[in-house]
Amino acid sequence: MTGLSPHQAGARFLESPVTKNRLRPPGAVPEEIFPAKCIRCGRCVEVCPYRSIIMLDIRAGIHAGTPLVQVENIPCYLCMKCVDVCPTGSLLRVSQESTRMGLAIIDQFSCAAWQNTALCRTCYDKCPFPEKAIRLDQLKPVILPDHCTGCGLCTNACPVTLANGNKAINIEPLYARDKVTV
Amino acid sequence: MAQTRREFIKKAAALSAASYAGLDLSIDRGSVANANENISWHRGSCRLCGVGCRVELGVKNGNPVGLRGVPEARTNFGYLCMKGMHFWKCMGHPDRLVKPLYRKKKTDTFKEISWDEALNIAADEFAKAHKEGGGEAVAYYGSGQALTEETYFFQKIMRGGLQSNNVEGNPRLCMASAVGGYLTSFGADEPIGGYSDIEKAHCFFIIGSNTAEAHPVLFRRIMRRKLDNPDTVKVINVDPRLSQTSRIADKHLQFKPGTDLALLNAMANVIIEEKLYDEDFLNKYTTFKSGKETVDFEAYKAQVAEYTPEKVVTICGNSFSADDVRETARWFANSKGTVSLWTMGLNQRKQGVWANNLVHNLHILTGQLLKDGADSLSLTGQPNACGGVREGGGLCHILPGHRPVANEKMRTQVEKAWGVPQGRIPPKPGLHTMAMFSAINDARIKAIWINCTSPVQSLPNCNLYNKGMAREDVFIITTDIFHTLTTQTANLVLPTCFHFEKTGVYGCTERRSQLTKKAIEPPGDAKPEVWIIREWARKLSEKLNDPVIAQCIKPFEGLEEGYELPKAIWNEYSQKLTAHRDNDLRGATYEVLEQMKDGVQWPAPTEEYALTGGTVKKFVKGRDPMADTESKDDLPYQFYGPAHPDRKLWIWLRDQADPEEIPDSEYPFYLSTGRIIDHWHTMSMTGRVPELLRANPYAHVEINPKDAQKLGIKPGDMVELTSRRGVNIMPAKVYEGPVEGMVFAYWHDQHKDRMINKVTKDAIDPGSKEPEFKICAVRVKRVSGPQPLKPYLVG
Repeated sequence: MTGLSPHQAGARFLESPVTKNRLRPPGAVPEEIFPAKCIRCGRCVEVCPYRSIIMLDIRAGIHAGTPLVQVENIPCYLCMKCVDVCPTGSLLRVSQESTRMGLAIIDQFSCAAWQNTALCRTCYDKCPFPEKAIRLDQLKPVILPDHCTGCGLCTNACPVTLANGNKAINIEPLYARDKVTV
Repeated sequence: MAQTRREFIKKAAALSAASYAGLDLSIDRGSVANANENISWHRGSCRLCGVGCRVELGVKNGNPVGLRGVPEARTNFGYLCMKGMHFWKCMGHPDRLVKPLYRKKKTDTFKEISWDEALNIAADEFAKAHKEGGGEAVAYYGSGQALTEETYFFQKIMRGGLQSNNVEGNPRLCMASAVGGYLTSFGADEPIGGYSDIEKAHCFFIIGSNTAEAHPVLFRRIMRRKLDNPDTVKVINVDPRLSQTSRIADKHLQFKPGTDLALLNAMANVIIEEKLYDEDFLNKYTTFKSGKETVDFEAYKAQVAEYTPEKVVTICGNSFSADDVRETARWFANSKGTVSLWTMGLNQRKQGVWANNLVHNLHILTGQLLKDGADSLSLTGQPNACGGVREGGGLCHILPGHRPVANEKMRTQVEKAWGVPQGRIPPKPGLHTMAMFSAINDARIKAIWINCTSPVQSLPNCNLYNKGMAREDVFIITTDIFHTLTTQTANLVLPTCFHFEKTGVYGCTERRSQLTKKAIEPPGDAKPEVWIIREWARKLSEKLNDPVIAQCIKPFEGLEEGYELPKAIWNEYSQKLTAHRDNDLRGATYEVLEQMKDGVQWPAPTEEYALTGGTVKKFVKGRDPMADTESKDDLPYQFYGPAHPDRKLWIWLRDQADPEEIPDSEYPFYLSTGRIIDHWHTMSMTGRVPELLRANPYAHVEINPKDAQKLGIKPGDMVELTSRRGVNIMPAKVYEGPVEGMVFAYWHDQHKDRMINKVTKDAIDPGSKEPEFKICAVRVKRVSGPQPLKPYLVG
């Protein structure tokens, strides 16, 4: 919430809320067209059994009413209910495996396993696609981008929280930045 | 849907309003320790698994602030796992029990009472039960997590005071088969070598153990050894489930659950057929046994000859080839040093002792024993199952110092040491764990003291035994730091000190005893167990008008409970009861243990010797002082263990035997259970550490992708597991872990829908009386798509 405090909202009127660990639900079209395509009906928010998807309020400027997943609060469990109810195609009907909400990036300077402070492999254990999206190399986690869905289960579970609120493994919404218009 | 659309929109509006009012959700940073000033570090051992990592607790202004590893310790070399790094958060936890709680009936709510009242009630109830039914009507059920002093003191009062051998502990559920295996094969309990063999081994044979998950710090050492020597060190993993441990393995043999006895015999067959055995070692040190008879090598050869690799591959489910078996046997026999490691996969079985014997057989046959880098090493699950319960007399059939109860000479020695009249200790062993809880079902036991463990959750087929614990005519006392499912069946709950809030010794897997000294004050009125036992026993002595009970606590009267009392108890135990026994701890006094960075490995008869770290290899002359003092001939190895009068290692002829329950058309899947890295047993501690709970808030079941496809199960779907005994509903993880036809569930969850021990089977090993947690038959059914679940902790 810190990035969205009232006095900053004006300046960020147009800025996309999609940043590190702040993701659109599965199947979302790129940010370039998402705010125009989404009609703010809130169906995805309502159907989400985990309350993972929240609806942005007026502080998000033109993005008010659009859905967002804050993975360090509640990650996406890939139940794929939201993609079924989206009436506009803002969320495309993707499968669990082909979901690309973002890509998990390990901060090796704060990760307990990489720093040798403790033998932790929580992210590996939490991943719904272990050995495909994440594997262990000498007990240190390594992400395999071809299969990472960006669901954020790893980020949510990561026991390391940095002073700025980030975890030692974070989801970067790489795919949301794709260009689709010419 | 929990929320209507209308409500949802209203809430969204309210949130906007709240944000303009300036509310902000801040992140809790209370748990981040950053200032390093004024922190004192106090050395102890880790509270959790059986590896025995040496840790230091950081204390600032009397409050714990963090844990770190001790780099000089020969167990962990400074490394810790996440559990080990975070358990200090239990210390100041708001859920801690801080007052004695009592209720007359189990349906009432608890009321806080004073210690005096609580101890009076405890003594009254035990006295009442004892008057009605004698020693057989009372029981103590302890834990491999209690300190040695506590287990020893409890059993002293029970046996010497109340004349009851109903002294048991949860190691019956995890280590009893390993004890049986060591005693029958080597004549003495506990491994010959230890962790130091890992760095010298050339072959690891890991069977029935997910070391990476359950003993992560030790796994790091194994992994390091393999990765530093990728070509010369082989790792063999034998397990029905592909686990983290398998990922460093050169060969993984995935067999059908319960067929490993045949596989181990097939390896012996290959070793004999290809003449890979050590003939000289066999001639000098080995006896062959079949049941009660002594047989010879030829008989053994004929017995294993039936287990041809080809035949065994079929028995094991055809997931590997006969050549795999041959190669495994060759690696095992030919390496410069082979270390076998196992835990519950072999122990928690109806044929647990036999499975242990078969692993020992391979070591004896090939002479992969007694030299550096070779050992048959059973890993312990709990931090003090070896030290407290196996050595300290915490099981119904053994007295302190590895003495069988049934042996009159042994009983007399103990009675003399305690100064109680001869014949005070009953000659008949008490009830083993499963018999004890069956006796509670029939109310043959009227009063039981459950210390530091939660049988309501941890017994197999727990629905059955929980009925007994809920009976109003069975008085239950529990001592614990948090509420557990077991405190919910208790009449009296006594709050105790946590690790580092009291002083005592833990003994880990490799015969190593380590001292943890009190570093902080306990919260509220929590008291160390040793104080509770002493005060209770004094009242008991008055109420039963029995001066012998008072005699049991006489040496400890008036001592301060934080340090002096446990020290006096340890001194009595180590000096009087381990003297000249195979676990001779006379040298491991508190003074010595305090100086050691990592503790002492027994046998350690003198302080001078103990200060060197003790015995790394048992039975080897020149390296084990007892091998010299107990020497009977000029051979370099002396097997002086108490169980083998011929002072030899015994190779046992053991055939394949099936588990109690095999899948059929009604219950078509094997179910196995196990532990996850972030949680410890019943989760009462680790569930209260947010970092660990968040990683694994609830249990799940692993299903092979092929089975999942057949059953229409997708990742995260809710799945029903049904056995002949109980039902669980938990989320599925579709994962190439368990072999096809098998599912694997974690057992830490306290929620009634996800408590897997409702489903597991309570068949027991006829020798060790350890239940077969690891194998039963279940039905698997998808019940729904993913459901949001909440973690559940009682209390």
